[in-house]
Amino acid sequence: MLEVLFIGLSLGSILLLVALGLAITYGAMGVINMAHGEMVMIGAYVTVLSGIWLGANIFVAIPLAFIVTALLGLLIERVVVRKLYGRLLDTLLATWGVAILIQQAVRLEFGLSFLGIHIQGLGPGLQNVSVPAMLQGTFAIGSQDINRYRTFIILVTALLALATWFIVYRTSIGTQVRAIIRNPKMAAACGIDVTRINALTFAFGSGLAGVAGVMMSGFKTVFPDMGTSMVVDGFLVVVMGGVGSLLGSVLSAGILGEINGFVAAATNDILARAVVFGVVILIIVLKPKGLFALKGR
Amino acid sequence: MSLQRRIDWGIYAVFIVLLMVAPLVMDPFWLNRVAKYLVYGMLGIAVALSWGYAGVLNLGQGLFFGAGAYMVAMSLKLASPTSLQQGSDRPVPDFMLWNAEPGAPTELCCINKGSFLWLPFQNQWFGVAMALIMPMAIAGIIGTIVFRKRIAGVFVSIITLALVLLVRLVVIDAQPVTNGFNGLTDLGWFKIAGFEFDPYVVPTYYLVAVSLSIVLVGARLLVETRAGIILQAVRDDENRARYLGFDVPNYQTFFLVVSAAIAGFAGMLYVIVSEFASPTFMDLSFSITMVVWAAVGGRASILGACIGAILINTISATVSETEGFAEAWKAIIGLIFVLVVLYLPRGLGGLAHDLVARVAARFSPAAARELRAANTSQLAE
Repeated sequence: MLEVLFIGLSLGSILLLVALGLAITYGAMGVINMAHGEMVMIGAYVTVLSGIWLGANIFVAIPLAFIVTALLGLLIERVVVRKLYGRLLDTLLATWGVAILIQQAVRLEFGLSFLGIHIQGLGPGLQNVSVPAMLQGTFAIGSQDINRYRTFIILVTALLALATWFIVYRTSIGTQVRAIIRNPKMAAACGIDVTRINALTFAFGSGLAGVAGVMMSGFKTVFPDMGTSMVVDGFLVVVMGGVGSLLGSVLSAGILGEINGFVAAATNDILARAVVFGVVILIIVLKPKGLFALKGR
Repeated sequence: MSLQRRIDWGIYAVFIVLLMVAPLVMDPFWLNRVAKYLVYGMLGIAVALSWGYAGVLNLGQGLFFGAGAYMVAMSLKLASPTSLQQGSDRPVPDFMLWNAEPGAPTELCCINKGSFLWLPFQNQWFGVAMALIMPMAIAGIIGTIVFRKRIAGVFVSIITLALVLLVRLVVIDAQPVTNGFNGLTDLGWFKIAGFEFDPYVVPTYYLVAVSLSIVLVGARLLVETRAGIILQAVRDDENRARYLGFDVPNYQTFFLVVSAAIAGFAGMLYVIVSEFASPTFMDLSFSITMVVWAAVGGRASILGACIGAILINTISATVSETEGFAEAWKAIIGLIFVLVVLYLPRGLGGLAHDLVARVAARFSPAAARELRAANTSQLAE
């Protein structure tokens, strides 16, 4: 029982890890970023590459992945997303194209594979990352064996969620972000540089996805398509929680993670995912604004 | 008939004539391929109807396609020679036997718990009927719930997306009945009055080409009806249409059902041409890819969306045969897609409209004015 609860918590924290960045880009900016999963993938590849070329471990990869994906996010915002504000469904379609581009860039080693140059760690194959010894195995609390890496993920997710909460609710940039969520035109009229804040927000959201990728690489195989399914899960969490509500995302990730954990324990993983989709559909139908809707306009 | 309509129908006629003469210049292998792309063209029409005309971006179109495909595939699986070699005089799908519990009777009724569902599919026409009824029923239920509750925009997309992924998982999980991940393969041939539609013969191509022509013209006529025009009014301003007294959810549901029927029909034809049905039809990427085709061809143009689908697939088939270029081609598709959304939101169809208007302006300013007026009203979005 307690074990299932813990697995659910760890599944929920993985969901939240992906959803945090989306909660910000979608909630604050009204951009459906289908390339978010690819940011996760890039984060995972940063871990792989830094392991191979720099001999660095997963702790070093976290800030590195954040920087790389945040810069990439900044670029995408500049080139594509900026032209599409206010056209929600078009952002979905355009970023889907961006997602394909990023996937192919990794698969083709940025085009170098045509020239016969191969970079170890890139390409269409599968990669994996070895986790430092201190994160392997289990430790005991009372009579319960707890998986170290899962605990590490939960801790990192909690830290990131707290940091995001702090930035959004306790800093002046966060105040500006929240003003933009409520009403972008009014915010601009009050002297907020909406363009700049949007770019920063998008970069921050992408950076969070990069960190999520580092955490994923520790227990999942790394390959160019790995992000596609994650982005859907992330969106379901954000929509169910209520667009623009950080707390909503945290709670809905927890709920979905626990549901997934319990159903998987009772039946199998496939049915568990199906049940999660069913629950989300039901909640969107009953409360289209999500569980914790922000009362804005 | 306005000039705009005359030009439009002229283009439709040219397109249909091209479809009909294609077998004169193609070998059976290419004909089979093109038949598949024509099926994709039909999916483009389904997307254009629900997205371009109803303003509902359905990201679960694969659900309707998959439903249509599986329904017919079940019938064709039972018609396959592989289903008759299980020691029973009546057909039993081979995969059921491989996974049967020891001692289970080799009968469709009771070889496993769910196999009785296959019983009516022994009649091919039951499968064909279900291939249309099933998607329409699903769409009817979705539409009634979603549109009555006034759920709109991105939330419809997310609901339909979650739904197609949910059904995909259920199909994979129901392995004894659906053969799970592997899907239904080794299918028999579709038969009409004793004639067998071998996928690599000309009549099969015509089955698809004529179906596509009918769907194309039917869809075009449908959007010109009163209901079609009200639907476009709803797309442009839902509240105003409601205040004018129209029962908005009814119109939206009706068109969702039509679009689902077209997608289901496409699924059925695809199975006949390609001889398999698999859960990949309900993958996230396939449903989004359909939308990509429609967007490139022109979301607000039925023929445009159809041609977009055929064009992209034909080009990718040609290009990806060059060694090593297949992956690069995917990247190019991604790039095209970003560029189309950014710079050509009306797709190739919109571009063609502009070109026609410009050419007309050369010859008669009055005609050009008429065309421009028609364009702006049609593509107010």
